[in-house]
Amino acid sequence: MKKKLLNQNKTNLFAISFFQAVSLIGLMVIFAATLSSCQKKETSTLLKIGLPEEPKSLNIWLASDSNSRKILNLIYQPLYRRDPITLKIIPWLAKEDPVFNKEELSYTVKLRQAKWSDGSEFTSEDVLFTKKLFFDFKMPRYYSKWKAIKEIKALDKHTIVFYLKKPSAIFLSRVLTAPMVSKKEWELIASKALETEKPFRSIQDHLVEKPLGTGPFTLFEYKKGAYLHMKKNPHFFGTGKKIVNLQLGPYVDSILFKIYGTSDVAILAIKKGDIDYYWWDIQPGYLEDLKKQGNIKLFLNKKSALYYLGFNLRKPPFNNLKLRQAIATLINKKFILTRILQNYGTPMHSIVPSGNHFWHNPNVEKYGHGQLPEVRIKSAYNILKNAGYTWDTPPVDEEGNIVKASDIRLPSGELMGKFVILTPPADYDPKRAFAGTMIQEWLRSMGMQAFARPMAFNSLIDAVKGKREFDAFILGYGKLNLDPDYLRAFFYSKNDRPRGWNMSGYKNPEYDTIADSQRSLIDVEKRKKLIWEMQEILIEDVPYIPLYNPHIIEAVSKDRFSGWLEKVDGIGNIWSLCMVKPNQ
Amino acid sequence: MGNQKFIFNKLLEIFIIFFVILTLLFFLFRLSPGDPISKIVDPMLSPEDTLHMIEQLGLDEPVHTQYFIYIKNFFSGNLGHSFHYGEPVSNIIMDKLPCTILLFTTSTILAALAGVFLGKISAWKKGSGIDSFLSISALICHTLFIPWFALLLLWGLAYKVGWFPLGGIISPELWIENSSAFMKTLDVIHHMLLPLGTLFFIHLGSYLLLMRSSMLSVLREDYIITARAKGLSERIIRDKHAAKNAALPVITSVGLSLAFSINGGALTEQIFTWPGIGRELIFAVSNNDYPLAQACFLLIAAVVLIANLVVDLLYAYLDPRIRY
Repeated sequence: MKKKLLNQNKTNLFAISFFQAVSLIGLMVIFAATLSSCQKKETSTLLKIGLPEEPKSLNIWLASDSNSRKILNLIYQPLYRRDPITLKIIPWLAKEDPVFNKEELSYTVKLRQAKWSDGSEFTSEDVLFTKKLFFDFKMPRYYSKWKAIKEIKALDKHTIVFYLKKPSAIFLSRVLTAPMVSKKEWELIASKALETEKPFRSIQDHLVEKPLGTGPFTLFEYKKGAYLHMKKNPHFFGTGKKIVNLQLGPYVDSILFKIYGTSDVAILAIKKGDIDYYWWDIQPGYLEDLKKQGNIKLFLNKKSALYYLGFNLRKPPFNNLKLRQAIATLINKKFILTRILQNYGTPMHSIVPSGNHFWHNPNVEKYGHGQLPEVRIKSAYNILKNAGYTWDTPPVDEEGNIVKASDIRLPSGELMGKFVILTPPADYDPKRAFAGTMIQEWLRSMGMQAFARPMAFNSLIDAVKGKREFDAFILGYGKLNLDPDYLRAFFYSKNDRPRGWNMSGYKNPEYDTIADSQRSLIDVEKRKKLIWEMQEILIEDVPYIPLYNPHIIEAVSKDRFSGWLEKVDGIGNIWSLCMVKPNQ
Repeated sequence: MGNQKFIFNKLLEIFIIFFVILTLLFFLFRLSPGDPISKIVDPMLSPEDTLHMIEQLGLDEPVHTQYFIYIKNFFSGNLGHSFHYGEPVSNIIMDKLPCTILLFTTSTILAALAGVFLGKISAWKKGSGIDSFLSISALICHTLFIPWFALLLLWGLAYKVGWFPLGGIISPELWIENSSAFMKTLDVIHHMLLPLGTLFFIHLGSYLLLMRSSMLSVLREDYIITARAKGLSERIIRDKHAAKNAALPVITSVGLSLAFSINGGALTEQIFTWPGIGRELIFAVSNNDYPLAQACFLLIAAVVLIANLVVDLLYAYLDPRIRY
């Protein structure tokens, strides 16, 4: 009896504990639901944007991550920027197009009546000071371009003359598009940094809490790890002005940047209405679900991007032009587009992306374009056979049937050894990793011992750009500058050195001469001819095989805002944020 | 050996191990491929720019020179500046560490308390319906895949039902409106509930199973039969005699879990966008931010070493048979 009573007591105790636990959970749920409803109060002109990562730094000389640059691009402004539609260079902080003096080799730039976000005036002094900073600290990205300037003079508070050492085609697009910083903000910091042993590091380590800019927004509050709050800059020079037929705002009072650690959660946030726009490229896998949402609008735009297969031309087997051309013929870009990119992209045939319509050459050789897989194999086989390559079992038999090839031999008779195609890992970029696997299979169909090997991104860059010990690699540039001068950087003979951009080790004196000539051509049409010629040479010599250019897919909520401006690289740009308006 | 001598020897041992870890970490990062600049794939950067940046970071010096500078700075309390944040590493850690401690330590302690309590009941009622229910539930919790479970909770309770926020530590909308401190505190608790719940259930399973198995072996000990023979009540036998001894392995486990909890859980932090140290650690390692990565690992090493010492001392307190 006593034991039974004891057991009953224990059961009661357990029941009480269980009841208490359930009550506690219930209370927590009620509390959570109440707090959630409290937080629904919103201001209509607060635009909420999701970011995939927290900006690492607001110091313009340090920030290299894309999220920091998104914020800083809204604050620090250049003298000239690109028209979002025509992609031509247009005046921004400058009042009008620069006046070129051929005899003096100078550009005269008139400045707008603009103000910094603290209300102080933007003058020629700030431009002179920015140039001084670039030179004093050898600012990466800027110094190497601004070195072309021999002298810079301020004629008055709003007129500057740039004297060049020699004619420069990239002066407007790469020099005058550099961000201008305020003398008031940086003068003291810079002078202190210059006194240290490592001045550039010192200026990078300066903690910037309230950047001073001339852009449409200014930083109001940054709570690390949580959010970043920007407010409309009351002194923004563009407000109410019509620039390239766009009546600029901003039409929102402020922007709240919220952080979402994964795309899954950010997509839920946009569906739920927690954010109005997720400033990141959405993977095609989410599209079916998003298309079903009535409140979501999707934007698909071309990117100024290049994803490619590169070869090491410094050693066999890829120092053979015919082998590279045969591989270019074998690669089925349509397959990559339909299966890997799920049709959200364009196959690339030239190094300059097709979205960059002025500089892109559509007439370059398109290896294997439109051919069936069997025809590709036969074409590649013929190229290689004519170049002296042999097989133990050729890929095409005597009756012209495709068979499994084995043991391809170089023209010297030596067996072509195993080679590795380095790719980034699938968790970093599944598209490049899968493209590597597919290329491996296509090359094996020709009897080549190809192995696609995903590798940590740092190690890949170290192998390709640092040590330069590799066979082939797949890499890409997600945001190429719209000026095609990178054609020179990527393939110029002198850039074949450790950390140089000529990763393939391509050397062609004729190409170098054209690359140098285009740099000094002021006449745009003449320069275009040379740029087109460079693209033709590159596709003929195949140091890289351009593979694809994915579309940028972005999603916005239609509930509260409209007026996003689409351009190459999507709607995440300063123009959009100056144009987006609350719904009536 | 007296306790004081034991502590002194242990501290000496900890110092030596810590110094070895410090040295190993330094060289491991320097030997890894690439450098802090290599991940910046920006054609605007010329090779001269890259070399200039490397030189300014002091990475052009021979490795042994870098090592001596690092050791000198370390012992003068300077952990260096992060290459990517441009801030002293100690500031970054102090920013992130409280968030990690708040979430991970709370969840570990709560899960351990619940695990000990439920494990005790489960073992005591071995073979009953309650035991089966608790054991199966614990196994399910123990084998849950964190990202899947976390996303499921977010989808169900935050997106579908709307009771909880979709990650983060605060609601920015509430904070920019200058709400009261009370509302802000409630807001942090509100944001914490879902990640806390996830981690609680994940940890609960292992503590419950550990306690159950430990308790079952203790219940077979002679002193439990003696206690029963003495006529002590079942509750006293269970709670005072069995559970207290059975909890020793759980305490060891909790001690180490607490130590490792400062590392956070990168996956949990990523999914719930919790601004903790786990995400920073992953970022620092993948971007070769040597000072930040080294400091994070050193912090973990220090806490694990100290936790081991604390657990050893706690053993002596809990088990009178253990004396140093």
